[in-house]
Amino acid sequence: MTATLRLLGMGWWLQMKTRSRDPFDGILNIIYPLIFATTVFMMFREGGDESALITAAVGASVMGVWSAVATSAAGSLQNERRQGTLELLVAAPAPFPLLVVPMTLAMATLGLYSLVATLLWGRIVFQIPISIDQPLVFAAAAIVTAAGISLMGFLLAVTAVRYRAAWALGTALEFPIWIVCGFLIPVATLPEWVQPISWILPPTWGVAAIQDAAFGGTPWVNIAICLGLSAVYGVIGALLAGRLVNAARTHATLALT
Amino acid sequence: MPVIEVADLRRTYHAKTGIRRRSSREVEAVRGISFEVERGELFGLLGPNGAGKTTTIKMLITLLLPTSGSIRVLGFDAVTEPREVRSRVGYVFGGDRGLYERLSGLDNLRYFAQLYGVPAHEQMARIGELLEMVGLSGRERERVEGYSRGMRQRLHIARGLLHRPEVLFLDEPSIGIDPVGARELRDTVAALASTGTTVLLTTHYMFEADSLCDRIAVIAGGQIVAHGTPAELKGRVADGNVVEVEVFGSAEGSLDAVRALTGVSSALVEERGQAQVLVVRSGPGIDVTAPVLGCLSGIPLGRVAMREPTLEDAYVELVGAQDVT
Amino acid sequence: MTSLRIFFLGGWTSYRALFGWLSPWILIPTFIIGPVLQIVFFALVGRTAGVGDDTFFLIGNAIQYASIPCLFAMGNTIGGERYSQTLSLLLASPARRVPLFLGRSLPVIVNGLLCSLIALVLGSLVLRVTIPVSAIPMLVVAVTVAAFSCTGLGLAIAALGLRVRDVAVLSNIVMGVLLVFCGVNVALTAMPDWMAAIGNSLPLTHGIEAARATVAGASAADVSGLIVTEVAIGSAYLALGLLMLAYFERESRRSATLDLA
Repeated sequence: MTATLRLLGMGWWLQMKTRSRDPFDGILNIIYPLIFATTVFMMFREGGDESALITAAVGASVMGVWSAVATSAAGSLQNERRQGTLELLVAAPAPFPLLVVPMTLAMATLGLYSLVATLLWGRIVFQIPISIDQPLVFAAAAIVTAAGISLMGFLLAVTAVRYRAAWALGTALEFPIWIVCGFLIPVATLPEWVQPISWILPPTWGVAAIQDAAFGGTPWVNIAICLGLSAVYGVIGALLAGRLVNAARTHATLALT
Repeated sequence: MPVIEVADLRRTYHAKTGIRRRSSREVEAVRGISFEVERGELFGLLGPNGAGKTTTIKMLITLLLPTSGSIRVLGFDAVTEPREVRSRVGYVFGGDRGLYERLSGLDNLRYFAQLYGVPAHEQMARIGELLEMVGLSGRERERVEGYSRGMRQRLHIARGLLHRPEVLFLDEPSIGIDPVGARELRDTVAALASTGTTVLLTTHYMFEADSLCDRIAVIAGGQIVAHGTPAELKGRVADGNVVEVEVFGSAEGSLDAVRALTGVSSALVEERGQAQVLVVRSGPGIDVTAPVLGCLSGIPLGRVAMREPTLEDAYVELVGAQDVT
Repeated sequence: MTSLRIFFLGGWTSYRALFGWLSPWILIPTFIIGPVLQIVFFALVGRTAGVGDDTFFLIGNAIQYASIPCLFAMGNTIGGERYSQTLSLLLASPARRVPLFLGRSLPVIVNGLLCSLIALVLGSLVLRVTIPVSAIPMLVVAVTVAAFSCTGLGLAIAALGLRVRDVAVLSNIVMGVLLVFCGVNVALTAMPDWMAAIGNSLPLTHGIEAARATVAGASAADVSGLIVTEVAIGSAYLALGLLMLAYFERESRRSATLDLA
């Protein structure tokens, strides 16, 4: 148990180190969501409804967490393959899923920077009166949401073990999740056939919990659903990882050559 | 009980060609090889590029599934019990890939120590010991991207030994490093073997296999074409003579005629710079120089020399014979 | 004649080399699905915020999406060459610079144009927006000039590629600037004056405005001023890019900063 936690912790920490050593990547991860947030804030300001603007500011802050994961998760194992470490990870006795989960956890953690940056941007530049009703609960809800997003990223990353073009899929999924998870657009206003998709995605519940925490609701049910769904994604990802690694052993796709 | 038992191992790849019309071609990389390695032995798989060495080693360390045949490592089945095999063997490959460039050497080692389940309280001591052994002490906090090839290779070795593996697999470990580094590497490998670690090494350098290995299997075209101690392999060609004739022109046309001469056991053409060299091996006590030169009449010739056969002759002959078939 | 050959042939070859690694698996999400999703996203946000209408977001985002191929492909022309170490070979060649780099821009403009047009068609189907048939010719003109002026900006960024190491990051940031300032999702009239001033000096702004006016029923004569302004802005960036290329080329020959430093 402690060895497993240590393995996760070390994987997470080293991934954070690796990722934060690419200054360009880091800057982009913060600036890119801010660009979209800026546009969104201007649109809501033009609309004139102050309370809608505040809700949007809180929702927009989560957009960057998903961007950080979506754009890097699918490519992460391709990177490992390219630098020749994917084989070493598979050849190690530690269960493969436990090596991939910390990678996407680290991406989501870096995404939390953008969450804070977006809130500050809204507060300072747009002077949106964001006040967090229950700061600790808000932080907890944000962390749970980030965890849920990282487990979605885990599923995405695992798919890429076998399919090399999957990295493009990650980028293509950036907008759809922004659209369906209720970051800015209330799920209830989406077409009816879309809503069930929203319900099975952890960030939908995570964002709802974050908004509850910010505006004085009770987020615990939403947090629990987000955690439960995340666990399901984790289990599916782990099962898929086992199958795909075996397929890769048959089809010899672990190495680049 | 042998540490490694390989029986009738085969591996086929499906190479896909074309995008529109998907035609699948089967490539047999490994075509039924069998061998055994005893505990503490330093065993070499020697063969040219593309002979099937890497494919074989990847099946042994559970990264590839064999198409047929069986592999037992330390008594465990590499196909059905991969976890058991993985935790007991180490794997090191040559070249400068396989490291986390943006992390320090120390971080690379700590991560893999954790991956291989080295207990937390032993990790730092073990890493220190290995850094000392491979001569990287003092450099471990620098990022790997600044390491030289030799340093990377030594870091690889340290990584492969973290969990004190009973068997170490080395895939072309000296590729791309300078002669001094390669010699240090061989010393390290020899030292390891002397402490009881079983080592399986692949290489296409004959002298490396000759100087290191207790036993060698020569692999070519996916099959083992010969196997024994270096002395035994040399013995296969020791009783006889080798005649080398420098030819300025095309020697290939005369090959068949030379091979047909009495007493000639093999003939090959090698490219050396501007000239081709015809290498003719004959049985003991037979001098074939004059008849060979007779076959080459009309072609400008250079130096003609006669010498004792070497391990290289044995190797070239074994591998060359395979190419012909 | 030679200049013309360098213009067409050289441009097409280099373009294929740059995008040769892209498979349909990557091209379709990037150039077809991506823009439609962006249109839908902003249209839905617009509905939630109670601003604009679907046509407004359809036209703004479809045209803005042309900036992705225009900025990235053009920006990468230099960065990519430097990465594959062919830049010094190229600059060592006696080929005239202006047709060389202008030639590279032609396929990029076509790509941007196609990207925008596909986005307009698919976006109007998804959002059920009808565009009057009479507006189509002028709409295509507006999209073409927008793609042209964006490529001009792309060339200026490509020139910076001789100096900056990571042009892709720069292209991303510039793309974001265009998204915010060019009236894509927020009309210039709803922006603070200083932002509108920046927007008016960037490519896309006038092209988008012309396209919106055309679809709303304006005649060719009504929008000709906007079209001319868009072309002028694009030409200005193009000229700036060519000047910078000439300057940096001379500079880097002196200070040896041409290849990967």
